[in-house]
Amino acid sequence: MKFSLAVYSAPHSSQSAASALRFARALLAEGHELHRVFFYCDGVHNGSALAAPPQDEPDLLGAWQALQAEHGLDLVVCIAAAQRRGVLSESEARRLERPAANLAEGFELAGLGQLADAVAQSDRLVTFGG
Amino acid sequence: MAKRFLALCRQAPYGNALAREGLEAVLAASALEQVPDLLFCGDGVFQLLPEQSPAGIEQKSLQRNLQALPVFGIETAYVCERSLAQRGLDLGMLASGGPELRPVSDTGKLIAGYHSVLNF
Repeated sequence: MKFSLAVYSAPHSSQSAASALRFARALLAEGHELHRVFFYCDGVHNGSALAAPPQDEPDLLGAWQALQAEHGLDLVVCIAAAQRRGVLSESEARRLERPAANLAEGFELAGLGQLADAVAQSDRLVTFGG
Repeated sequence: MAKRFLALCRQAPYGNALAREGLEAVLAASALEQVPDLLFCGDGVFQLLPEQSPAGIEQKSLQRNLQALPVFGIETAYVCERSLAQRGLDLGMLASGGPELRPVSDTGKLIAGYHSVLNF
């Protein structure tokens, strides 16, 4: 079955961001397809390269990146929600004249059309947080 | 055939960014000709109250987004009757100028008729 996930929660704030990751791992392990993970609202913080949790806590960013590298996942951060909250790629930081970029490797910024497309392309959309 | 999908608006208009960002997602999907149906339920029915003046808390009004819905092809929206009643509201107290509001008593049955639900 083809799944897409929508993630609305910031990492390390509520369990739902970690649950999204665990659900992604589980469905891939069961042989399902993960079409896209769309990070929206506070979920855009999952794509910040600057997260530095203590060593004895789970590294959600590293885990998403490892899963992305292994399965070629489409990890999409909503560009409008990310601009508001300060998750910027190099080009967005330049365009908006901000002093730094922090979009993590393995993630890309794209518009809300990617959420609508995920709904259209997937058998199931599962939302985490909100 | 396009899959039918429903956007569920559950949040009061200004306490949580999901109310605004949900409507933005609905408008964006509609602009791409994937027009969802809309159901306001729970505290989401508060989004439909007229005469909101959020400038006092330095927020932008959501009403412009709501009134834009018909332009984007969303001419009717469902409203959960029970959510209204629980909050002392009725259909006649809600804002006009946006989509035509259609009361729903069995929201579970409505939701079950869709392929996907966007939950805001």
